[in-house]
Amino acid sequence: MVTGETLLEQEQARGTGQILDRTEPVAVRVRGLVKRYADGTEANRGIDLDVRRGELVSILGPNGAGKTTFLRQLSTELRPSGGSIEMFGMNAVSAPQRVKQMMGITPQEAGVFGSLTVREHFELFGRLKNLSKVEASAATREIIRSLGLVAETGKRVGSLSGGQRRRILIGLALLGRPPLLVLDEPTTGLDPSSRLAVWGVIRRAVTDGATVILSTHYMEEAERLSDRIGIIAQGRLIAFDTLDELLSRLERSYRLSYRDPLDPFGELCVHYFANFNEAREQVAVAQLSEYSIARASLEDVYFTLTGEHFAPGEAESA
Amino acid sequence: MRRLTDIICVFRIQLMSMRAEAGPFFLAALVFPAGMYLFANAVGGVEAAQNQSRLRFLAGSIVFSLSLTSISWLGYLLLENRFTGRLKLFATLPLAPSSYILGFLGFAFVQAALGTTVLVLIGRILGVVMRPSLPLLTLVVMLTVLCLCGFGVIIAARARSFTEGSLLTDALGAGLVFLAPVYYTPETMPQSLRIVSQFLPTTFAARAVRTTLTGGHQIGSDALALGIMAVVTLALGFRMTKWRED
Repeated sequence: MVTGETLLEQEQARGTGQILDRTEPVAVRVRGLVKRYADGTEANRGIDLDVRRGELVSILGPNGAGKTTFLRQLSTELRPSGGSIEMFGMNAVSAPQRVKQMMGITPQEAGVFGSLTVREHFELFGRLKNLSKVEASAATREIIRSLGLVAETGKRVGSLSGGQRRRILIGLALLGRPPLLVLDEPTTGLDPSSRLAVWGVIRRAVTDGATVILSTHYMEEAERLSDRIGIIAQGRLIAFDTLDELLSRLERSYRLSYRDPLDPFGELCVHYFANFNEAREQVAVAQLSEYSIARASLEDVYFTLTGEHFAPGEAESA
Repeated sequence: MRRLTDIICVFRIQLMSMRAEAGPFFLAALVFPAGMYLFANAVGGVEAAQNQSRLRFLAGSIVFSLSLTSISWLGYLLLENRFTGRLKLFATLPLAPSSYILGFLGFAFVQAALGTTVLVLIGRILGVVMRPSLPLLTLVVMLTVLCLCGFGVIIAARARSFTEGSLLTDALGAGLVFLAPVYYTPETMPQSLRIVSQFLPTTFAARAVRTTLTGGHQIGSDALALGIMAVVTLALGFRMTKWRED
């Protein structure tokens, strides 16, 4: 079985992150990005990444792996300790104000102005994004409609649910159709229908030509939205490719999951096999009556690469 | 032009936010200072009957109002923005940190204008005889607001937590008034406190406001001191307010 550590080494050796097709224009170019905090913690350890224009890239990784640090540096909120970030050819480290004119950003933890109405919030922030009054008003109507907030237009933001406020934050990033969106866990805390609405809005932005970099904990989100997926572990980008390419890297792409018949409340056992028959053989050998055999998914790639294990709750829903 | 639009937008956001927070504003800008004026009159005895003393109490209440709105209230709003993540929202925009602060200063001027005007009117209704020099009074109020806001901005930028910051802004907002000879004459203060009070912005502000309320023009040194303090505190405040973390 391929361990997470082995794959991690393989990925590092391959120098993942840099695009192969050099004819495509690059929107974001990151080289040797390092973030070292004052207490010595190295949150990012030399990340290299190229994102093409019009591409949607998802960044996955365990808690504390360095995803948010990476996105905060991209959004210019955090100054890198080393390396470079270029956005549309501009140096994002030395000219943050200039690159922010081309960016829509949803931070992981940002607050909204509860006493403003939804319309006021969008219109005022539209003006702050260099839109004229007429443009801000038109953009507000469009965003409110696309995010399904029409009924809330005149309501105070403070009276809305957490999910609706999160949608407002995403809408603020989309205002003015910026060519680059940096979204840190945009759908965390949203109910399924809101999540679908947000996915639709993000995908539409990409169709309109925007480049999107988002971080997420949801595998389904990464699978359904992304053109390419990056996995960060221990501060390093250990994989960066399309979903198909990532799946093809698994030598054992069939997953058998079961519980020990003698200990039905014990931990879920997960094993990987090269083909379906091998998995069936294992079922026969172990005399399993309740089990599941499935094709490997992004989740399997993720767990294999990061070396993380299935939590019982996660495994059941997987 | 772009910068002016940014400043006006930040100002409008704060102004609109005040719709839900008008009550606390009236408490800080009007009710407490007016109450202090009545209290000082009540405990002032024979001295309070003199118009000169009433002018001192009124000037003290105006400075008290400016201090509460500029340090405590404005500092609170800045802290709230920082610790509830609203500041991050501004930081995502192509907006200069200085435009953000200038928008807040505009908001502080509106609050100060409202508070000072109402307190002067209350003084008139309560029989204080005055001939205010409006241009000079406006100048002194603006310098005082700039200087005191600088303290609020510094605290909001440096506080390690919301609790620490709000405690500091509250303490400074009230403390700067009660440590200075605002409601009483310097002669009645302990010697050590008298020395300290000579360097407090509220001392200069109260003296200058009193002078302008009587129609006097001799505010040069007080205005200069307030101006220098405003430059220093705001320069520090602007420097400390950053969008980007290291």
